[in-house]
Amino acid sequence: MSQELMFYATAFLITVCSVMVVTNRNPVVSAIYLVGDLFLLAAVFASLDAHFVAAIQVLVYAGAIVVLFMFVIMLLNLGPEGKAHLRIPAPELAVLVLTIIGFTTIGTLLLTGQAPGVGGEWSPEAIQANGGNTFTIAMVLFTKFTWPFEISSILILLAVIAAIVIAKKDKKQVVHD
Amino acid sequence: MISINHYLALATVMFLCGTLGVLFRRNLLLVLMSVELMLNAVNLVFVAGSRLVNNLDGQVMVFFIITVAACEAGVGLAMVIALYRRYGTVETSFLRMLRG
Amino acid sequence: MGLDELLALLKTDTAIEIIAAVIKILVVLVVCLQVPPVMVWVERRAPAMMQRRKGPNRVGIFQWRLYGLIQSLADTVKLVFKQEVVPRGANKVAYHMAPIFGVFTALLIACAIPFGNDLMIFGQKIGLSVVRLDVGFLFILAISSLAVYTVTLAGWSSNSKYALLGSLRASAQMISYEIPLGMSLVPIVVIFGTLDLNQIVVSQGAFPWAWGVVRAPVSFLLFLICMFAETNRAPFDLAEGESELVAGFHTEYNSAKFAAFFLGEYVSMFVLSCLASTIFFGGWQAPFIPYETIVKLVGGYAWIAALIGFTVLILKASFFMWVYVWVRWTLPRFRYDQLMGLGWKFMLPVGLVNLLVTALVMAALEFH
Repeated sequence: MSQELMFYATAFLITVCSVMVVTNRNPVVSAIYLVGDLFLLAAVFASLDAHFVAAIQVLVYAGAIVVLFMFVIMLLNLGPEGKAHLRIPAPELAVLVLTIIGFTTIGTLLLTGQAPGVGGEWSPEAIQANGGNTFTIAMVLFTKFTWPFEISSILILLAVIAAIVIAKKDKKQVVHD
Repeated sequence: MISINHYLALATVMFLCGTLGVLFRRNLLLVLMSVELMLNAVNLVFVAGSRLVNNLDGQVMVFFIITVAACEAGVGLAMVIALYRRYGTVETSFLRMLRG
Repeated sequence: MGLDELLALLKTDTAIEIIAAVIKILVVLVVCLQVPPVMVWVERRAPAMMQRRKGPNRVGIFQWRLYGLIQSLADTVKLVFKQEVVPRGANKVAYHMAPIFGVFTALLIACAIPFGNDLMIFGQKIGLSVVRLDVGFLFILAISSLAVYTVTLAGWSSNSKYALLGSLRASAQMISYEIPLGMSLVPIVVIFGTLDLNQIVVSQGAFPWAWGVVRAPVSFLLFLICMFAETNRAPFDLAEGESELVAGFHTEYNSAKFAAFFLGEYVSMFVLSCLASTIFFGGWQAPFIPYETIVKLVGGYAWIAALIGFTVLILKASFFMWVYVWVRWTLPRFRYDQLMGLGWKFMLPVGLVNLLVTALVMAALEFH
């Protein structure tokens, strides 16, 4: 019972934060709400017994990615946007379609019964017996997903190089200030 | 045990917020943040699904998604800085070079 | 409900768990919040000692001066009762939130630090840290990576150029040194094969030649440097370089919120000191005397042994707190490009090589 209460409270807060991220006029405040969003999502992950992913979520998302966002906002000194911070004229049709899709999906999800779960090999008990969540994830990651893992490291390397090349100051360029 | 459908509903809400942000925000940084929101909705689906079917592939996939999101944020923000240097703004409505 | 029923209720597992949790939280909270006043005093008296002057030694209770120990209390009272001035154009929510967030993150890290071995109370195993996490290591890294928001928000929200520049410097520094910090801790995980902090302490044992500092000396050096950088302390305190930036990110803060910044800084210093002792110096293990021997020596009362372990941890942490003060009054401040160069061009490669060597040695040992 208390678990359900926790989930609904967290879900409510996540919804509020998500809406605030999108609608707030001030980019820094949006970033703060995004941090709240990610932190609460990590809590949901932890309640789903995914401790490793929860820790990584806070470490990488809230601790690195959003800090970068905040850093760039401060670097460019972006103030609050004017009244027209949302794109006007808003294509009402798109809003309508998206809202209808959303409500139908959520309604269907909440009204229909639970999808039947297939019994996989890593039930919580099996994970506990195997040496905990982190250990088991590492085992899966380094056996079944070795190649994707290596490729993702190359991807990071490429992204680092790309970011440096793109953001490097070009001396010939006109600098606006 | 909370039904997986509730997790999926929450993910839908987050994903829709993200989509609306990408479509309707003028600020390029906010567009990137909305993309992060959408990726996180997907993460939630993966973790909830992984718990439902007792398979850890979902959580490993979240690990990869976070990796890709970090790359995306790094390159995206570098592009935002470059654009700001070039045009002095990060509003999408001013960046219409490709529209001809 | 009668007294017997109440006692019976108190002896159920849930009740014991809840009571133990409350006591643990109180212990950690009280200890952490006692650190700043003492440290403020040490930080004034120690340089006075080093520079052959007296330092503040007047404030006392009636005729007992206590070497000026009450000075911190007087300062706190002064700060709390000052008028609050919020700069015009400040973002109110972020401005008020930033110092609170600093204290919050520091205390949250303190939750994961084990201050004693597992106790058996009424047949129930109680782990002596506020939360016993199997990903304690990652938890600490994750929460300490959130500490940068304090600086960022404080600088941005006060609507002042000095504060903004100071916070840009400080946050760039904290992000940069987070990476060597992580890199210095990964070899420890490789060596001990666990992310559970208490497990790490247990497997270090009581003898100093098995402690983390001997097994991974390079890691310890890297961690020590990162400790200073992460808390924005001298010689890495250019975020608050007085001669250039007034006071950095907390230029516009005064009264109780300024005190809260101090609180957060000292608590996070203390928590990092505890972490250094836990990971590299055997945590609550008293040197040369194994835990079992201590339990035997005190006549089988495990709680006395736990108390001794707690004291030992505090003593070890106090040593690092002293190192903080010592370094601050010994080394001059870095230049900003030197700071960044040290972080990215020296410590990160050293950390990577250290990790590689550690992994190779561990693999060789296992193969052997």
